[in-house]
Amino acid sequence: MNIKKIKEWLRSRKMKSEEKYEETKKEFEMAMGKPFITIKIELPNGFDDLRAHFLSLEKDEQFLDEVRDLIKKRLVHERRGVKQPS
Amino acid sequence: MDSTVIIFILIYLLTILISTTELLPMSLAALAGALLTAWFGIQYGLFTYEDTLSFIDIRLLMLIIGTMIVVEIAERSGLFRVAALYAIKFSGGNPGRLFVFLCVASAFVSMFLSDPTAMLLMAAATATITKLLNYDPVPYFLSATIMINLGGTSTLIGSVSNMIIGMEANMGFTEFLVYLAPCEIALWAITILTLYLLFKPRLGKKKTLPEYSPAESIKDKKLFYKSMFILLLLIFLFLALENLNIGPEGIALGCAILGLTIANLDPAEIFKELDWETVFFITGFMFIVKGLERTQLLNDISTQLFQAAGGNMLNASLMTLMFSGLASTVVSNIAVALTFVPIINAHVTPGVNAAPLWSALVLGTNLGGAATPFSGAVCIMAAGALKREGILVNFKDFAKAGIVTTIIQLGFSSLYLLVRFWLIGG
Repeated sequence: MNIKKIKEWLRSRKMKSEEKYEETKKEFEMAMGKPFITIKIELPNGFDDLRAHFLSLEKDEQFLDEVRDLIKKRLVHERRGVKQPS
Repeated sequence: MDSTVIIFILIYLLTILISTTELLPMSLAALAGALLTAWFGIQYGLFTYEDTLSFIDIRLLMLIIGTMIVVEIAERSGLFRVAALYAIKFSGGNPGRLFVFLCVASAFVSMFLSDPTAMLLMAAATATITKLLNYDPVPYFLSATIMINLGGTSTLIGSVSNMIIGMEANMGFTEFLVYLAPCEIALWAITILTLYLLFKPRLGKKKTLPEYSPAESIKDKKLFYKSMFILLLLIFLFLALENLNIGPEGIALGCAILGLTIANLDPAEIFKELDWETVFFITGFMFIVKGLERTQLLNDISTQLFQAAGGNMLNASLMTLMFSGLASTVVSNIAVALTFVPIINAHVTPGVNAAPLWSALVLGTNLGGAATPFSGAVCIMAAGALKREGILVNFKDFAKAGIVTTIIQLGFSSLYLLVRFWLIGG
């Protein structure tokens, strides 16, 4: 019997339940707190040399403010009934 | 004591030790134990291979799996999340009311969900609201844990140990309610009051709740109403069809099939989420206990237990309550229920009203599970969720609430058994 494999299985089970906990918590946060979105954006083709810079954008407050402004603009347009380019 | 009995006791104890400490997955430990039981039992001529085919109670497994499917569909629809959201909303930001409503919601969802699933849901709800309102999460978390352990004591499908006892004792949904519902309702009130008094100084001050509508969190309204219909149908049929010679397992499986048909969900996805670990643990452990039963050991224990009780049913019931309650504080209550069932059965003869004994076993196996941080999966999960939130809860804090409420619950249950079966009768 491979104890290592069994331990790994037990660990993966624990991780699965932790993932489920985070998922459930996110649903409660969405319902009770301010709603939020999580977007996955891949590094655009041809920018492999800027990989580190790309990854740092996730915590770049200036960049995040720009994204927030963009969302605000989009929502303002939505409220005015202006059709957005898809 | 001959060598066969010693081997079977060793298999039994090793399985409990390995599954409790999680040295191996509990399902694997029980299945390995079952394999050894079969091997030694056949070798020593205790039973034949054909005998072993009857060791597993298919009706019990059908009831457990059927109920799991119905509940899984309901969980996917967000039914229980919405219930928790309403409980929080109705508190209006008052910490005392929030505490009580979270306790009630925890016990309520645990009437349907398995304890670990209910814990996952209520831990997430508690973490979110206590963070939003800046409350100390420990009192809310610990109380939810204790209430989840208590919830569902009086229903046939409230816990797996109830299903085991119900099937073996032939106790239907109605009998469960008649014998145990008054006790459970009183236990909810007593436990919430105890926890409230224990944690009152730590609950926090009144805050304004964020504006939200629980109904808006329902992603698929059609699925929500369908799953609610199936769950209500299950309960209605449990109550209505009891006298029509249809066992609860037939109703549970029938509702599960109907649910899968109308919910428009991929059955394979539902099956993947069922708690197979528990199903296989029960299968293996049931086999081990049947093997032990064949050695006459459980029969002897039963005789000695009833002799110690002086042949008095009241004493025997109180002893069953205390022994099973204490055993459940350290061992899985499923293992305790499976072990106690043949011990009680050995004493049940035609004409003897065994309801007090079965009720005592139901109460004992349900109440012992939240005494310490290591008493059951639900306590371990609560401690884990708190750790994830960056809050370390010490053993003393946990055990203080757990032990105090367990002692009060077992004490009250003793009184209840006395009043319900000896003063009122039935």
